[in-house]
Amino acid sequence: MSAADRNLAFERLVRPHFDRLYRLAWRLAGSKAEAEDLFQELLLKAYGLLDQLVSIDQPGPWLGRVMYNLFIDERRRFARRRLQLVAEGELPGDGLAAIAGSSDPVMDGQRRETIRRLDRALAMLSTDHRVVVLLHDTEGYKLEEIQELTGTPLGTVKSRLHRARAQLREILEKDGTLC
Amino acid sequence: MHDDNHNTAHGDQDDARIQALLKDYPMPQAAAGFYDQALARATVKGARRERNRWLLSGFGGAIAAGLALWLLSSTLLHTPGMQSAGDTVSASIPGITMTLEEPRTVNLVFASATALDAVTLTVTLPAGVELAGFPGQSEVSWETSLTAGRNLLPLRLVALTPVGGELLARLEHENRDRLFRLRLNIS
Repeated sequence: MSAADRNLAFERLVRPHFDRLYRLAWRLAGSKAEAEDLFQELLLKAYGLLDQLVSIDQPGPWLGRVMYNLFIDERRRFARRRLQLVAEGELPGDGLAAIAGSSDPVMDGQRRETIRRLDRALAMLSTDHRVVVLLHDTEGYKLEEIQELTGTPLGTVKSRLHRARAQLREILEKDGTLC
Repeated sequence: MHDDNHNTAHGDQDDARIQALLKDYPMPQAAAGFYDQALARATVKGARRERNRWLLSGFGGAIAAGLALWLLSSTLLHTPGMQSAGDTVSASIPGITMTLEEPRTVNLVFASATALDAVTLTVTLPAGVELAGFPGQSEVSWETSLTAGRNLLPLRLVALTPVGGELLARLEHENRDRLFRLRLNIS
């Protein structure tokens, strides 16, 4: 296969999944810069595994698992990341940048404040808990999909989801977001 | 969307409030052209990587830069004995090379002997280099905490002119400060 044919085959396999993979990268990494790096690294990795990729029935879930494993590998490499977690809300590309304005500046302000508090609360969760609750409650992944993606037993996924919601509830009640 | 039914009756109402918040938790869309650029890099670099497998491993160029910086910077900050910025300029400044107008993530890794709260971190950029998402700003400052051990700060930089210069990262805590320098070369 020529290089051009190889590149074309690769693009046909991966491009249909770009939006979902980008969203996954963002939810895993929590900041735009890191999400873009993770997305890029996935494509590099997948390109090297093209011979394997072409024989896979469902490339989407496979690509998601590869991305998750890259994320975990990178997280293990830097076990301590508190600075990044604390600072991410101040870095470019945080969730607040995605809020579309409305015609009601008061509502916009309230929503921004709510999301700012949710950012802070999510940053206080462990990565395992944050990822599960964001994938399930924000991205709409089923528990079984999270189980497959993360390679975590279903019971553990359920307990992490339950614990994550409980922790968020406690934090958001304490700061007045939930009354 | 969800067909899971594992909530306890006791937590259902509270969970619904949390889920309502999370359902609307925003996320920026990918920048226009990002997918095409990422795909082009993957095919070009992927092909090169195939040819030079022995050269590459790990999490890519950005992390490699971070590791290099850590090797150089991890010995510089040993709190609580932080010294003044003026006393700590190293004669040997680490450096990286960036490509003009091509964003690159540089991971700064700060090592601290103890956990510290209320640390102010200020990043100052040379003229012609911007932090992605902060156009026109040459300095960004915020308060954060340091944990004992290594603390990672990823910075997404883009060079708009071929001049380059020094990136300064200053940590301040209780009237003490520490300055890190990174040479940015633009190709």
